[in-house]
Amino acid sequence: MEKSADGFKPKILAFCCNWCSYAGADLAGVSRLQMPSDFRVIRVMCSARVSPEWVIKALAGGVDGVMVLGCHIGDCHYISGNHRAKKRFALLKEMLGYLGINPARLYVDWVSASEGARFQQIVTEFVETVKELGPHHGPEG
Amino acid sequence: MQDPVQRVREIAGQLLTGGQVDGVLGLCEQHGGVGPCLFRGEDDLSSLVLEPKYPLANVCKLIQARYPNGRLGVIVRGCDERALIEMAKREQVDLDKLALIGLACTEAQAVECRCRHPYPQRIDVGERVEGVAPTVDENVRKLLEQGFNERLAFWHHEFSKCIKCYGCRNACPVCICEECILEDELWVQPGVVPPDYAAFQFIRAYHISDKCIGCGECEAACPMDIPLTRLYALVRETVRELFDYEAGADVAAPSPLVTTLEETPLLEVGER
Repeated sequence: MEKSADGFKPKILAFCCNWCSYAGADLAGVSRLQMPSDFRVIRVMCSARVSPEWVIKALAGGVDGVMVLGCHIGDCHYISGNHRAKKRFALLKEMLGYLGINPARLYVDWVSASEGARFQQIVTEFVETVKELGPHHGPEG
Repeated sequence: MQDPVQRVREIAGQLLTGGQVDGVLGLCEQHGGVGPCLFRGEDDLSSLVLEPKYPLANVCKLIQARYPNGRLGVIVRGCDERALIEMAKREQVDLDKLALIGLACTEAQAVECRCRHPYPQRIDVGERVEGVAPTVDENVRKLLEQGFNERLAFWHHEFSKCIKCYGCRNACPVCICEECILEDELWVQPGVVPPDYAAFQFIRAYHISDKCIGCGECEAACPMDIPLTRLYALVRETVRELFDYEAGADVAAPSPLVTTLEETPLLEVGER
């Protein structure tokens, strides 16, 4: 695990939906809002495109935290994709707990295309949360 | 009370002689053990037995696939019926062509299976006994009292026993995909034992989360005695709490994971 001078530097994946959250992340960027650099964005067409297998595999493969960001409920480009994502990850969070992975390592929220500041806030807070949790050693740890 | 075996034989006999069904699927003694058997005439029903518990839903599916127009009587316990209902939702069996003979389990069986509903919706034979909550089990309680690291260590130990025989999947009545993700090289590396269990057991657990009916066949099939039902029992309870949904209860109720929030709201889950 890579360590910076001030301690643990987490690896975080952020799945952002094409229509809202990715645009929100883009807005945060062009607005030059300061954010931690510990996360990598993966652009998906919808938060419902993120299958739980990806999250499981990411956590098993040495990622310390996973974010799934979509449109606000009611604003989904595909009407109800984020409804599915919300239910799916509510269930997956509980399951991760039973299996011994802190559910706080998975974060699901909604960011619209105009909420650059909200994206900045959410990401900063999640990075802090994961830093507090410490490195995730995966199932082999 | 009449002997349950006699009662089932009578009902099966009536169905066969009345011409309502072409055959009755049940259990019979064979080769020194008990296995599934399709009874065709009234006279051979004397070999019909009820114990031990043996899953018939998968057998029923095979027969229906071969004889789509056959009318079948099936002796079902609570779990068999729930399995058939989940299969019917996914067009694996045709409930309209089945005549179910409902058999209630005993209290001891209910406790052994940690079964919440140890009886089918219509009981023809046996007495209804109250089910037990899956979380009442001592081992499940113990798991819940542990911290995340201890749980991870526990599952790491258990899953490292896996020999990747796919018995859990093959025995499962609700594992119905023709192309299984567990055979996909992208997720489960071929030729590696034990499999990376995050890719194998975690994914399997998620895949059956909304359809697991708690029959316990996965654990019964496991040659390495991995306590899979401990995990699946908790997952079933969570689905109940989150969506007020129970797999196998109602053939008209779709999985909450494929409906919108208006159709099946997401409820708050209690502290674990």
